Amino acid sequence: MLRFATALLATALFAAPALAGDRSAPTADCPQGVLTLSVLKPLNNPPTPAMISAWESGNKCIKIALNEVPFGQLADKISVLAAATNPPDLLMFDGPNTQTYAAAGILLPLDKYFPAGLKDDIVAPTLAEHTYEGKIYSPGTQQASLALYYNADMLAPLGITPPKDLDKAWTWAQAIEAMKKCQKGEGDNVSVWGLAPSRFGNATPGFVFRDFLFVRTFGDPKAPPESSLYKTYWGISPDGKTAQGWLNTPEAVEGAKLFADLFNVHKITPKAGIPNAFQDKKACFTIDVSYFAAGLVNNDPGFKWGVTPLPYVRTPVVHTGSLTLGVTAKSTNPDEAAKFVIDVSTGKIAEDYNRAARALPAMKSIGARIEWLKEYPLNIFQEEVEKWGHPRPPSAHFAQYDKIVSDALRDIAYGADAKTRLDAAARAVQPLLAR
Amino acid sequence: MTRALRHWAAVIAFVGPFLFMLLMFQYVPVARMLWDSLWDFALLNPDKRTFVGLGNYLDLFDDPDRRQAFLVTFGFAAGVVLTVIPVSFLVAVYLNGTLPARAIVRAVVFLPVVTSAVVIATMWTFLLDPNNGLINGALVILGLPKLAFLTSKAQALPSVIGMMLWQQTGFATVLFLSGLQGIPRDLEDAARVDGCSALQRLRHVVIPLLSRTTVFIVVIMTVFSLQAFAPALIMTSGGPEGTTNFVAFDIYQLAFSLQQPGLASAVSAVFMAVVMGISLVQMRLLRTRWTY
Repeated sequence: MLRFATALLATALFAAPALAGDRSAPTADCPQGVLTLSVLKPLNNPPTPAMISAWESGNKCIKIALNEVPFGQLADKISVLAAATNPPDLLMFDGPNTQTYAAAGILLPLDKYFPAGLKDDIVAPTLAEHTYEGKIYSPGTQQASLALYYNADMLAPLGITPPKDLDKAWTWAQAIEAMKKCQKGEGDNVSVWGLAPSRFGNATPGFVFRDFLFVRTFGDPKAPPESSLYKTYWGISPDGKTAQGWLNTPEAVEGAKLFADLFNVHKITPKAGIPNAFQDKKACFTIDVSYFAAGLVNNDPGFKWGVTPLPYVRTPVVHTGSLTLGVTAKSTNPDEAAKFVIDVSTGKIAEDYNRAARALPAMKSIGARIEWLKEYPLNIFQEEVEKWGHPRPPSAHFAQYDKIVSDALRDIAYGADAKTRLDAAARAVQPLLAR
Repeated sequence: MTRALRHWAAVIAFVGPFLFMLLMFQYVPVARMLWDSLWDFALLNPDKRTFVGLGNYLDLFDDPDRRQAFLVTFGFAAGVVLTVIPVSFLVAVYLNGTLPARAIVRAVVFLPVVTSAVVIATMWTFLLDPNNGLINGALVILGLPKLAFLTSKAQALPSVIGMMLWQQTGFATVLFLSGLQGIPRDLEDAARVDGCSALQRLRHVVIPLLSRTTVFIVVIMTVFSLQAFAPALIMTSGGPEGTTNFVAFDIYQLAFSLQQPGLASAVSAVFMAVVMGISLVQMRLLRTRWTY
């Protein structure tokens, strides 16, 4: 029933773009007619109108038709589309899901479309994320890492000067101390929180990209592979099929407890979201990505701000991975769609986007040309990707892992017992990974 | 064309489109759901499937998360029915009298019924916000401590029941009101002549004669509650710790997020059977013993 219903729904949703995929009548400039490529993408994310118009100006006989959904609905929408016979030509999807979609046969491998040297130009974490069983599915539009933004005007009177170098990064104990000092009010009467609530996912605690780092930092990638320290750092077995004993190690439980303590013991961050808490001076610190800086530059919040590397406990670690563009395996226009992917992910179009959005480039050549990547504060994000960056736990079932672990961390933040909840998460995700 | 043929042509013309839609969008999907419940597959790759027979049904009964979803949903339905019925009955009795401001109260009570469930869930998320919510603001003014509401394991479900009470009271009130207005005046007058007080008339005349309406409202409210989806999707994501993970939301999560449409179909089939059973039991237990 579900397959039937989803196929019906997907057909209904995408009938228009699919029909638009047909070529229009021939014209003098376009003897074969104008081809329309359909794209499913999340709202307020690339490919941006500027990227599309730049590409269309060089490809007069191809038009891009966008179908935009909120980011939170993107993965479900793609699931529905998988059953459709005529999905869009292009998908903008979350990079860590590459293996999931590749294993399901949704994405088209792009190896044969890659010009010589392109693969070598892709930064290592992106290449790892977008490769499955030796084939590459997307060059990548951008990379991401997380750092700690702070309100310098609030910290200055307290004599707190966060470090600017990765080598001198705070531990979480130091960061929590600073957050406690900066917070104004306590109990039911907090006017300024030490740490802003997460704005990622559905703006509740637990989103793996941000909050699973509290767990992974308790691990150690240099420890013996059979040790729980090693397993804690990776969170999943190397083949992506085992979470039991990797997700719920004693060190992972320690990390989850530290995360819960921010809400329930130190009480330096709220359990419910506060929109724009940092920009509105309702929080001293916030954990965010490099392009959060673009918002602060373009819409001056009215205070001095700075960035310090993400705090750690045992091992510094940040998650990499960002939205990326791929071609659907069922696209009837794979050559044109692949050209669009490669053109907007590389060269001037990608560079202009990376510059405008303050997004970390996925191409080394673009990174080398952007001067602010070498300057404070955005150099911190770039260096984190290079020195501390790892993909979120890679698996052909990452989407399920992501959902179950996010829910577990949210419950732990709300007060659930860390060990019991991580054990339950490992038990729930294990059969899905083993499928 | 013979008279019989004309008759059947008219029947097909009037009933045919509806029957076709009913078959296509109700019975065929249900049959397909039952078929899918016997397979293990992922929506992302629906052609690659393994026949598991009743395996999904066994998993369902063996899985504490699924059992919790059923218990939470039944608890939610019971909470909604047990609060909506008395509150809406009292409001209906008030509106059936000659007290002032009836028209305004009727409009105010009915307004949430015509508001989208998504809008209501979003609005109540703001109202119940533990930091800046209006309800906590009111509690602070009254000198009471703030409550966690949707982030508390103990308070999340009662909070959502409270929202449903606010939303559904208007609908149930209108139904009770129509029932009250349908009770013959002379029955109450006779009871009054016999010396019954207002409370006695309510207990011995009005309530028994409203049993048809009450059965209908109980069944409708139960079905509405068992279908609850928007509160879990928008307000709580089924948490904390699954305490608002209603079955409808659980089915959605299983099918789309966890890529287990076979298991989701099995849950749907069991849930459908349970809902039908509950409705039958309710109609049997609350069957009308008095009529007029």
